[in-house]
Amino acid sequence: MAAREQLPKHPTSALDELRAALDRAATLAKELEARPEGAGELKSRLADVESDREELSVKLAEYEHQVQRLMNLYVATYQLHATLDPAEVQATIAEIAINLLGAERFVLLFWKTGPGGTRQEECEIAFSQGMEDDQSGAYQGGTYGGGDPAVDATLADGVLRIGPLDGSPALACVPLTVQGAVVGALVILKLFDHKEMLRAEDRDLLDLIAAHAASALFAARVYSVTDRKLKTLESLVALVRRQ
Amino acid sequence: MKPKKVLVVDDSKLLHRMFEMMLRGFPLVHAFDGREALDRLAEHKDIELILLDINMPRMNGLEFLNAVKAHPEFARIPVVIITTEGTEDDTERGMQAGAAAYVKKPFRNEELLGVINRLTASPAA
Repeated sequence: MAAREQLPKHPTSALDELRAALDRAATLAKELEARPEGAGELKSRLADVESDREELSVKLAEYEHQVQRLMNLYVATYQLHATLDPAEVQATIAEIAINLLGAERFVLLFWKTGPGGTRQEECEIAFSQGMEDDQSGAYQGGTYGGGDPAVDATLADGVLRIGPLDGSPALACVPLTVQGAVVGALVILKLFDHKEMLRAEDRDLLDLIAAHAASALFAARVYSVTDRKLKTLESLVALVRRQ
Repeated sequence: MKPKKVLVVDDSKLLHRMFEMMLRGFPLVHAFDGREALDRLAEHKDIELILLDINMPRMNGLEFLNAVKAHPEFARIPVVIITTEGTEDDTERGMQAGAAAYVKKPFRNEELLGVINRLTASPAA
């Protein structure tokens, strides 16, 4: 009795149910077939996203690099022109060399001038750092009289030279120019051990020193001389008035 | 969250300017040698990080660091040594004196910012 009740009332309805079941199976089979393709698509999208992420992190690193480069240039320029005290300008040039370029041993040279501003044959060493161990003998007694071909060439033609340089221990010879005239040079002879070499971005700083350091120092020296003369005149006038 | 106050101790004006640019989110207190830095610490009780150079006049960085670590009130402040003294001995000396990190000049901004963010983010710092 129970088995009879389970039989479909109409054979056609049983066939319809079977057809419907087959249709559902076919649909499920299609879905199953489609699934691996979906996973593949997801994998492809994931690969795209990872590639984008890598590209973005490379760009971010580049931007950070550029920001640092610009910040170094801005700070160096700002500080060079922030004072009219020649000693402070010189100290700033040294700070740029030490803190931004990583120079352990360097000299700042200026052509000596005689009466009437005529240029002499040797340079005064305006500032030096770490030169106690220098074996070259070229920088002694507070003067540089020539002998290093790269330094001599830079002092003569005003061209920035970055080592290695033939016949010279210098790593970089930076001309210091005022209105196109070479007035001296910054010579970097050694970097700190933890700074292996001068990098591409250091070139910007060396260019900046070449263009701004001497003019800032020149302006400070002119101001200093003028200020001293002014003060002398003022004290003379005050003296005359008292008499 | 209130930004943490940072004491910059360096005899280079250039570096002070650099830190002003780099650390715009942090209130900075400036000192140009160790002795001046001790005065600034006494004035600003809310300093939470010290960036310290080693070679300075009057009182050098290591002397200052020893004074800070011996002081009951200041000893908890993390100190980052930022210096051109880059040998392993120098680093070890600095870390043994109680520095939280050691960064060599010239430094990359992201390197220093990473250290600063790590030290200012940790409540234990």
